[in-house]
This record gives sequence, C-alpha cells and structure tokens, in this order.
Amino acid sequence: MSHFLDRLKYFNRIKSTFSKGHGIVTNEDRQWEDTYRNRWRHDKMVRSTHGVNCTGGCSWKIFVKNGLVAYEMQQTDYPRTRDDLPNHEPRGCQRGASFSWYLYSPHRVKYPLIRGRLLDLYRTERKNGKDPVEAWAAIQADSKKRESYVGVRGLGGFVRSTWDEVVEMIAAANVYTIKKWGPDRIYGFSPIPAMSMISYAAGSRYLSLIGAGVGSFYDWYCDLPPASPQVWGEQTDVPESADWYNSKYIIVCGANLPMTRTPDAHFAIESRYNGTKVVSMAPDYAEYVKFADLWMPVKQGTDAAAFMGMGHVALKEFHVQKQDPYFTEYARKYTDFPMQVILNQQDDKLVSGRFLRASDFDNNMGESNNPEWKTVVYDSKTKAFVVPNGSVGFRWGEEGKWNLLEQANSNDIEAELSCIDDKDEIVDVTFPHFTPEEGDSLVRKIPVRKLTLASGDTVYVTSVFDLQVAQYGIDRGLGDNLATSYDDETVPYTPAWAAKITGVPTADIERTGREFADNASKTKGKSMVILGAAINHWYHNDMNYRGIMNLLHICGCVGQSGGGWAHYVGQEKLRPQAGWAPIAFGLDWHRPPRQMASTTYWYFHTDQWRYERVEADDLLASTAKGRYKGYQLADYNVAAQRMGWTPSMPHFDKNPIEIVKEAEKAGATDEAGVSKYLVEKLKSGDINFAYEDIDAEENHPRNLFVWRANLIGSSAKGHEYFLKHLLGAQNGVMSEGVEGEACKEVKWHEKSPTGKLDLMVDINFRLNSTGAYSDIVLPTATWYEKADLNTTDMHPFIHPLSKAVDPAWESRSDWQIFQTIAKKFSELSEKHLGTQKDVVSLPMQHDTPMALAQPFGEVKDWKKGDCEPIPGKTAPIFKVVERDFPNTYAKYIALGPLMKKLGNNIKGLDWNTDHEIEQLASLNGVIKEGISKGMPSLAEDIHVCDAVMRMAPETNGEVAHKSWSAQTKKTGIDHSHLYEGRHEEKITYHDIVAQPRKIITAPTWSGIESEKVSYNACYTNIHEHIPLRTLTGRAQFYLDHEWMLDFGEGLCAFKPPVDLQTHKNVPANIKDKPYLVLNWITPHSKWGIHSTYQDSNRMLTLFRGGPYFWVSEEDAKSIGLKDNDWVEAVNDNGATVARVVVSQRVPNGMAIMYHAQEKNVNVPGSNTTGKRGGILNSVTRTVIKPTHMIGGYAQLSYAFNYYGTVGSNRDEHVIVHKIEDKDIDWLERPLTPEREGKKNPSGINN
Amino acid sequence: MTLHNFIFGAYPYLAGTIFILGSWIRFDREQYTWKADSSQLLSNKNMRMASNLFHVGILGIFFGHMFGMLLPHAWWQMIATDVQHQWIAIYAGGVFGIMCLIGAIMLFWRRISNPRVKAVSRTRDTFIIGWLLVTVTLGLSTIFVSSGHAAHGDVSSMIALTEWVKSVATLSVNPNLIQDVSLIFKIHIFFGMTVFLVFPFTRLVHVWSIPLSYITRPYQIVRTKHVRMN
Repeated sequence: MSHFLDRLKYFNRIKSTFSKGHGIVTNEDRQWEDTYRNRWRHDKMVRSTHGVNCTGGCSWKIFVKNGLVAYEMQQTDYPRTRDDLPNHEPRGCQRGASFSWYLYSPHRVKYPLIRGRLLDLYRTERKNGKDPVEAWAAIQADSKKRESYVGVRGLGGFVRSTWDEVVEMIAAANVYTIKKWGPDRIYGFSPIPAMSMISYAAGSRYLSLIGAGVGSFYDWYCDLPPASPQVWGEQTDVPESADWYNSKYIIVCGANLPMTRTPDAHFAIESRYNGTKVVSMAPDYAEYVKFADLWMPVKQGTDAAAFMGMGHVALKEFHVQKQDPYFTEYARKYTDFPMQVILNQQDDKLVSGRFLRASDFDNNMGESNNPEWKTVVYDSKTKAFVVPNGSVGFRWGEEGKWNLLEQANSNDIEAELSCIDDKDEIVDVTFPHFTPEEGDSLVRKIPVRKLTLASGDTVYVTSVFDLQVAQYGIDRGLGDNLATSYDDETVPYTPAWAAKITGVPTADIERTGREFADNASKTKGKSMVILGAAINHWYHNDMNYRGIMNLLHICGCVGQSGGGWAHYVGQEKLRPQAGWAPIAFGLDWHRPPRQMASTTYWYFHTDQWRYERVEADDLLASTAKGRYKGYQLADYNVAAQRMGWTPSMPHFDKNPIEIVKEAEKAGATDEAGVSKYLVEKLKSGDINFAYEDIDAEENHPRNLFVWRANLIGSSAKGHEYFLKHLLGAQNGVMSEGVEGEACKEVKWHEKSPTGKLDLMVDINFRLNSTGAYSDIVLPTATWYEKADLNTTDMHPFIHPLSKAVDPAWESRSDWQIFQTIAKKFSELSEKHLGTQKDVVSLPMQHDTPMALAQPFGEVKDWKKGDCEPIPGKTAPIFKVVERDFPNTYAKYIALGPLMKKLGNNIKGLDWNTDHEIEQLASLNGVIKEGISKGMPSLAEDIHVCDAVMRMAPETNGEVAHKSWSAQTKKTGIDHSHLYEGRHEEKITYHDIVAQPRKIITAPTWSGIESEKVSYNACYTNIHEHIPLRTLTGRAQFYLDHEWMLDFGEGLCAFKPPVDLQTHKNVPANIKDKPYLVLNWITPHSKWGIHSTYQDSNRMLTLFRGGPYFWVSEEDAKSIGLKDNDWVEAVNDNGATVARVVVSQRVPNGMAIMYHAQEKNVNVPGSNTTGKRGGILNSVTRTVIKPTHMIGGYAQLSYAFNYYGTVGSNRDEHVIVHKIEDKDIDWLERPLTPEREGKKNPSGINN
Repeated sequence: MTLHNFIFGAYPYLAGTIFILGSWIRFDREQYTWKADSSQLLSNKNMRMASNLFHVGILGIFFGHMFGMLLPHAWWQMIATDVQHQWIAIYAGGVFGIMCLIGAIMLFWRRISNPRVKAVSRTRDTFIIGWLLVTVTLGLSTIFVSSGHAAHGDVSSMIALTEWVKSVATLSVNPNLIQDVSLIFKIHIFFGMTVFLVFPFTRLVHVWSIPLSYITRPYQIVRTKHVRMN
C-alpha cells in the first residue's frame, strides 16, 4: 500500500503507552523492515572456497540471489578436531569475504580479448586464403608486422573477439612453434596446484601432452626453502596450524600470523591460554608481535646469527656440559650427528671433506649394494665402525633395511656422537667464515680418529657432532681457548657475537636459547619455530633456515607433535598429489613430462644474467677447492644443466623433433640409439645446450601461457627485465647490462634481444598486469563458478570449489578452456604436424635410483674432460616420446592407458591402479570412440575431481593400503596401523560438497592423520622409523657435496645479506636532492593475497587506495618526507612510485612495500624512467645461487618444485626520494609513433 | 491566453500539482531515493559555514514569504502599517536572503570545484543549487525596487503581490492583479514557482522529512506485530 497514506495515520498510530508514557505501542506500517530481511534473503547457498595463494583453504558459503552471487560467509561445519583442541572455525578473512565483488566488477574479463593490431593482422592473412598456421607464420615472418603488436604490449589496445577466433590463433601459434622451433619453446606458468587443482591440471595437461614445458613456481616465488631438501630430502612438510596449540614454546620469525595466516592465527593465541611462551623476532613492530611474551627485534637478514647464538647455548648446556638423555638419543637416531666425516688436507689446512662410506672399507664392509651411498657411524657397543640402516644406499636395490631402527647388519648398535673420550688425536680444522672483518676462516680444535681406508690412504675422521660443536665455538677444553662465557663477542656464534650482528641483547638470545632447549627437554620436543617468507626471501635463505633447523635438531623437536619447524609460504599442500600428478602432467599418456625450474628459466630468458653484478668468486669459501673459479653465476647453471643436475627449457639449439629425425636418419632405431646419437653430437658441438647461447633466436621462448597466476604484476622479480627482453614492451631498466660478457659458458651478443615471445596468453577472471601485457586474454570462471578441489597444509581437510552460478558472460572453467584449445590444436595438427618423436632431456630425479648418479658429491664435468658424458650418470637422460599431435584432444579427455600399464607412484613407491581405473570407468563413464575408446572420461570438471580423489591414497583407503604396503617393503616395518580404520573409505566430489573431509594418512607425506596427534612434519620419520630421503637417511647438519663445501655451506654459517650493487648509481635527477638508501622489504599484505584483492574496491577502501610503502619516522624526517607524500624508489633495475606511509613501526634503513601492489590501480609515471611507475618488483632482480643447482646426489637431486634456484629478492636496496605533487605525471597521453618507438628510459641504448 | 496569464494563472497550479503529486509518487515508489544526499562525508571543508548559512537563510526566507504573504491583510494591519510591513519584509528578506546567497554561492562553488563532490554530483544536484542561487539573487534584486517604493510610501506593489498570492491560494487566481508590477518581481516569482515544479525530482524532497517528531519521541517504541494493512 501507499507509504504516504500510511503516514496520514500518524496521529492515530499510538495504541497504548507504558512506563508512564516513556514507551508507546504503535501499529504503524512495518514494510520497511523487509528491506533488511531481503538483504540477507537468498535463493540458494553453495559451498566453495577461494583458489588463491594464501594457504587458507577456508570453506565458504556462497549465497546466490536472483541468479547472481550476492555475498559469502564463513562455513562452520568442519569435522571435529581431536579432543582438547580448539575448533578450526571460523576460517576465513576480510579478503575472502570480499571476493564476490570481483564477479561483477570492472576488472572482470567478460569476453575473449585480443590485441587489436594482432587481430587485424591475423584477419588480413586469413582473408587472403591462408590457413590458420600459415597465417600465423606469415605474421611471424614479417618483423614489421610482429613488432607492430609486440611493441605495444602493456599499452592497452584490446578488442573483443570470439572464442572460435582466438582459440584458432592460439592453436595455430602452438602448431607453428612446435614445427618451426620445437615444443620446448612453449611454456606454461601457473602456481600452487593445491589452491585449485583441476584448473592447474588443465593447462599443465594440455602443455604436457603437446610436449611443452611447465614451469615451477615454489622455487621461483622463493617460498621454497632449499634448506628443507638439503637437510631433510623433503620439499616442505609442516605441521597443521592446530599443532601450534600443542606446542609449549614458540619462536615466530618471518611469518606474520594474524596478517598472513589469518584463519589460523587463533591457534597461536589459544596456545597462550594453554601455557605456551611465544617469542617474536620481527625486525619491525609487526602485527604478531602483540601476542608475544618477548620481542627480539632482529636486524633484517641476520636471523641465522640469532639462531646460531641460541644454538650455541642449547648445544653447550644440553649436549656438552651435560648430555640430555632425550636429546642424545634423538641426535643419535634421527640426525647425522654421529655420521663420520673424512678430514681433507687442503694446502696447509685441514678441512672437513665427505662422509665416510662403506666403500672406504675393505670388502665394502660387507655391503655389496651401493656401498658408495652408505654412510658410517662408530658403534660404541662394539667399538667399531659400522654401517647403520637407513642411508640412501639401502633405499634402492635392496629391501627391508631402509629404516631408522638403530641397527647395523641386523645388530642393535649405539652410534657414538663424539670420540672425545676415545680420540686418537686432536687436530686443527679450518671452517669457512663469512662475517665481515672477522677473517675468512675459523680454526678449531677437534678430536679425531685415525683410519686407514681401503684405498690405502690414512685419514682423520670425526663425527658431524664434533665438527658442529667446534664450529659453534663451544670450548671443550681442547686447548683452543674458545669462548668461556656467552658474553665473549670475539668468538663467532656466542650470544654476544650474535647480539653484535642482530642487535638483539645478549641476555635475550641466551635466555631464549636456554628456555627453548629446556622446554624441549622437558616436553620431549614441544618447542617450535614458526617461520616464513620474510627470512626465506634472502639470497642466503638456506643459512637462515639451517640455523633454525640446527636448533630444532639439537633439541629433538622435529617430528614431535607441538615441535619442529612450521614454514608456511606458498606451498599449500597438494594433499592428493599422487592422484593428481598423472592427470596434471599427462603421465597417463606419455612419460616423462617436460618440467622446468622457473628461476633459472626467467633468469636467462629475461636476460637478467646480462646484468649480474654478484661475482660468484666473492661467494666462495676460503676453504673452497674452487675448480670453477672465474665462473659467473650463469656459468654454474649451464654446467649444472649439462651434468644432468638441473633441467633446461628449451633443451638444445635444435628442435628436439628434428634431432630425433636426424638421429633416425643416422641409423638410430630406438631410444638408446637416439641417446647415443645425441651424446655424440653434444660432444662434437654439432648440437649444443640452448643455455650456452640463450640469446640466439632459436633458443627464445615463443609462446607463453599464464593461468591462475599474475606473473608480470606480482611474481616477476626483475619485472622491468621481463618487460624489456621477454615482452619487448616499454620498460624502466636503468642499466645497459654489460656484466654478462664476463660469462665463460654463455655466448655474448653485443645487442640484447627484446620481445622474445611471439604470443602471450593470459587466462584470468580479472584484468591485471599480466593480462595487460598479454596478446590474448581469455575469460575464465571465478572460484564460485566451477568445480575444483582445494587443500592446504594448515588443516587436514579436502574441500571443493563448486558452482554457485554458471560462469558469467563468456567465461569458461580452465578445464574447459584448455579442452577447447586442445580440440582446435588437434584439428590444425592433422595437416601440419601428424605424429612425431620428441626427445626429452631429463635431469637426475630425486626419489628415484637416478639420485645415486654421482657418488661422493664430486663434480665431474664431461665438457671439462673429467669424464665421458653418460646419460643418467654424468649427463641428462634422453627419453624419446612419441607425440600423436592430432589426438591431443582425445587424450586430454580420457584417463590414458599408462595408468594400467605402468601403474602409479610417488616418492619412490610404486603401486598398480587397475582397480581404480575400472571404478572410474563406471563412475565417470567411458569415452565412446577414437584412441580413447573405453577409457574413463575426463571431459567434465567433476570427472577430473573424482579421478584425482580415486587415485590418491589421501582420499581412497585402498590406495593408501597399496602405497603403504610398498613403503613397508622398503622399510621392513609394518605401517598398516596408520590407515587401518579407513581402508574401505573412498571420498568423492559429492562427499566433500556436503562437508569437508579429513584426509587419510598417506606415505606421500611425513605426518599422520590420527585421533591422538595433530599433523606434524617428519612424524613418521621419528615414530615409524622411515628414513628421511637424504644421503644419510637422517636430518643433516652437514652437506658434503663439493659445491656445498666450495661455497662454505657444509655446515650452517652466518652469511650477511649480499650487496647487489644496484643502488650505487644515483640518477642525475636525484643526485642533488635529499634521498635515502633503504633495504627493500616486500612482505605479504593485510589487504590482499599477493595481487588478488588488493585492487578490489572493498580492500582499497581499507587503506590508502593505491600503492604505498612504509618508511620509518626518522628516515622520513631526514629527507623531509611527510606521511602520504608521493615517493619514488629507484635503482638500476627500474623505479616504482607510491605514497609513503611514515610510521614508528618501521626500523630505520628499511622500506616496506607490501607484495603485490601492481600497476593497475593509481600508479603514476616514474619521473626517473619516464615509464609507468612500476610495481614492487620493478626495483628487484633475481640472483641465482650455485648450491641450488646441485643434482644427481641423493637429496640434492632435481624434482619439480623440490630443488632448484630460487628467486630471492630481499638483499636489494633502493634510492628513495620525494616527488612533489605537481611533478606527478599520469602518462595519460595518446600513443604517438615517437612514444611507441622509445621503449627504454632516456640514455639507455641497449 | 497571454504568456502572462499562463505563467501567473496556470503555472502556479501546474507547479503545485507536480509538487504535491510528484512528492507523493516518489515517496511511495522510490523510498530509497528519499534522502538529502549529503556529500559532507566526502568533503567537510567550510561546510559548517556554508550549510548553516544556506539552510538558516532559506528557511527564514520561506517562512518570511509564508507569513508576509499568506496572513490576512487585516491581521497585518493590527501589528504594522503597510509601509512598516514592507520595511520588515525588506530587512528580514535582506538579512536571510544574503545569508542564503552566501551559503548558496559556497555550496554551488563546492559542487562544481571540489573533485570528490563533483564526482558524485548528478546534473540535478548541480542544477538545483544553481537554480536556488539564481532565485535568491533575483529575490534580493527586488529589494532595490521595493525599497524605492517604500521610501515613497508606495505599497501598491506589495499589496498587489500578496493579493495575487492569496488568489492563487484560494483557487481564484487573478493574473491581472500583478499585471503592472515590476518585471523583476515577475521573474523572481517564476523562478520561485519553478522550484516547486522541480522539487520532487531533486534532493529537495528531504524537506518533507524534517524529523520534527524526534522532539516529542518517547524513549521506547514498540511496533505491534500484527499489522493489518487493509
């Protein structure tokens, strides 16, 4: 009725009064209340989550109203936790709660978009009667045409097209590239499968089927801690957040819990109610400091020193002054402390060499299988050297002895930690040292035994424990007068020394070290360190991490519930990995896939190596053998590739398909023949590794797919180098790049190549910086518009993404998008490709017998004449894969035959999948025709979800049984109790849509799902005696590979941040005004998950609404900066412009720019470069580290996302200066030919 | 019908009808648009001065017109002579008019120059403050004429205008009553009537909802559950 007429009854509305007239009762119209009811009224509610790289894995209710997603709310129906533990709920944060904004936001990509100039070119060629592949070839053949669209990347110019047209062009580009350059010139980048597994698998499956490369991300993001593979042989395994509650002592450093682990932070707070002491080590007053009992603000980048100082106290008081029984037993059984190391005479010094092996003894100590790979301890029971079970030599070639039972040759032993009471001699051993002004080495006295080896050499041997105690500077009365007091700052690694370096008071380091150890002793290991990106993103991240791991192992914490390390960055545990990998990499059709280490890939292909100012020689230890002296960092990588350590993409300077053709012409009939041919050609130099001449046009990457990622706007360390060399766009690189000429292994081209990519395709639901620089942008379904799977390391549940509404506008799910591309690709390849044989160059893989390729960690380089190139031993393995290109689509949509023929495997365990394949055939239905006839269908997204879950031990009890049985064979220990109660269980997609399900314990991981303990890393290593997948089978304090020793990382040592030298040239426009030089720190943000959310209206409203970075009050004052002034951060890498936040929270000498504010919101031009103001990574550049390239050596072997170079970025410094408001230039001018032609900043000519 | 007859004979009823009916329809159909649309959250600079001057001024003018023109002539004669009446109108109108003028100028300037306010301004927002500004300027301009009249004791224009207003109000409109008043009055009247015409289409509707009931509102209001809506 009428609101107005209702008002006419105003004087009649009071029916009665009460409380002496202070209250009235009315019968007025109440329709307006429906407004508030309707706000929360909805048509349906669907369970989904956010496929974003945050480790949250939060289940959400998505509310749909009138066919549109209206809002979302946290789900609260997780299955219960264990008794006495707080609930997981509520999970979710302000970012996830704002996601529905994106669906209908201006950022949403609604239709297939394409660079207008490219579309014109393509249409013209097609009109002239060329078929799609010919049309693409014609555009690429004409450098003017190519430049016309390549040169305007990042400058807008998109037009709307149709799916048919753009997919045809993409497929044509792929076909052309395979034909002309080779399939390994096509690359795909997508991160973190766990956040939306099926979407990841879509692209990687298509690319793997056509032979293209898929790039790693965990190492590239520098979230992978290389220390984890080094020490544990494990990529990363961590406790679930609930286990924080079980801890009794937590040190937090580099992980801002409430800000970046928002849904989990409550466990940290609740743990305090449980009596836990919390120590924070943030350099700034970070949000998590508020719930610490003690704040030890460490100078950024010096965490290793602080932890070494604490380790000094723990080691001295609990291992040397007294022998804590729990610590001692733990060290004996689960660490390499008792392992014997040979001391080498080098010049006039005695230095630690390699581990003693069974093969060093007469008759190999009775070990016929892999004696070079079996390390040795001294048994204090029999007073003899023995070969304990569990080293990597037991893992391959025999069964039943790969375990951590304290046995040797079936006899119980007690490994001796130190020979100090039974020594032959005391000798001086030299340790490398890296602290400035303290000399480059430390000489320490060590008790040793003298031993004559089978070779006849007499050597000194000692235990890792004795080495480690000496290196920590603990005085054992051996006469070297080391620190007698913690206050002696002249002896490295004492608390006082650490205080000098870190700025934390000596007393705090001493007390925390002691309390941490004392708590662990009393609770049997319930002391924990929560750590993360902020200490891992440094060049010497492995030292920061190993400093922590040392402390944890000294105190017996790793593998104990409530203890150990808790590293949470970017890995997001892909729980059903074993079921997923075959689908994701097309292993059901071809093996092996092409996988690449992305850091190396981008370092070379974006030509960052040409600008390298870090001299590898400066990083070498004083004790280095240094056979590679004079090598540049890039040279090390090239050597590592040809020795079969790390992957390469593209492999060779020739199309791998052509190589097979030529090999066959030369008489090769099988894989061995092709391999032999290739080895000969590599030796003769007729064929070369691509990276030896990476700037040659035949070695350029040609097509790039980016999906589920924001490569350009977020993760591209060296953003401006990407723009310049990879994309050929307007860029802000402020240096000529001449340093690379010093390379010995990489050919130098005077003129650097630009615009290497022919085609870049971005698949996204929002138009971000990556889309802006792409040639084609495809609209994908959001996380509320598709079926997918999601898991995390933070909780043990698997839950779905599901379809609340159909994909809006013309968007499609990733699985469907790549299916469409595969279909078109198949059609076009009929005529242009047919079936071809392709040779894949594979590095020696971790968790396979290939990891036993290069014994003793000695570097043997065939190109230097150290040995012959033998594939799989001293060179990569060359595998021939037959690619039936026209059947790519048929393969994509069906679960292929190799799953039955070869079965499945993970982490070196094999099992058959026959039964699962049959079940999937009836669950999903089968393909009716073609080469996939009768095979289970993968056509629909939900089919794929179910296939993953059916094949994974985590979601299928039967597979758990099969995989654990394989493990039992290896260890000789019955592990069946771990999955017993859930043997019959099978979790399907529809189950998890109903409610998240707790996963089943699987040998893929080192923790267990149980009623008794929370999930914790390395739990099965300690409690099931399954060895760590390292050389010794134990956690390693010591790494004996030649390069590790060369770079002084045999033992953990403190290494200060590296001077990258990019801030030394102050640009002319800044020279005469006040400026600051600040360390560039880029932590994770409160108002975004990387670049996602930070551009959403809702999140922008909560802070400055555009780019900003933080500077301390004092620093700001010194150059007259006021809060919210415009500032520019600039160095030789480029420049970024933002508003400054002036805050007492920040320590002096540091600028904090949150990751990842990209350039699509409110970023003006840079006054220095004259180009768009840039992003956080405009001022960074990747620097690679040789020790991360090691391969073919037990845990130091390559696996995808497991080991490799990492994209560190925190050692960087920038010049910061104020920009007056009037000087802000938004660059909103038309694109003139002159502007288009000038891609570099003024004065940069290369 | 001459233009004069239309504007002063028909137009008052046209404007009045649209004013009443328009407000009613908007109130019934567009409840969410029934608001003042304040932009003070976006920019509060000088608003204490501008908003108060404008609002006090315009309310003063409104009630001044009401009392001055609608009270029966006889009642006025009990308090003041016609000449006095005219001087009161001139002074009161002048004071409130200048307040309103200054406020309106500030608001108008703010609306077209402040980037944040400008960004949220619709055409009608800028239009209405502009229109009011012109109207009040015209109103103030009449003072030059009427003070001349008053100085000579000539109240005929004032009487004519009030008689005409009453003729409108009593539905017996007679345009001839103001056939001979100065043109400036006529233009001002036209602008004033137009304010009523556009009233329902602008933010002015918030005038209807002045929350007077708050003055006597009891502490607690219980709204019964069973509302019988016809």
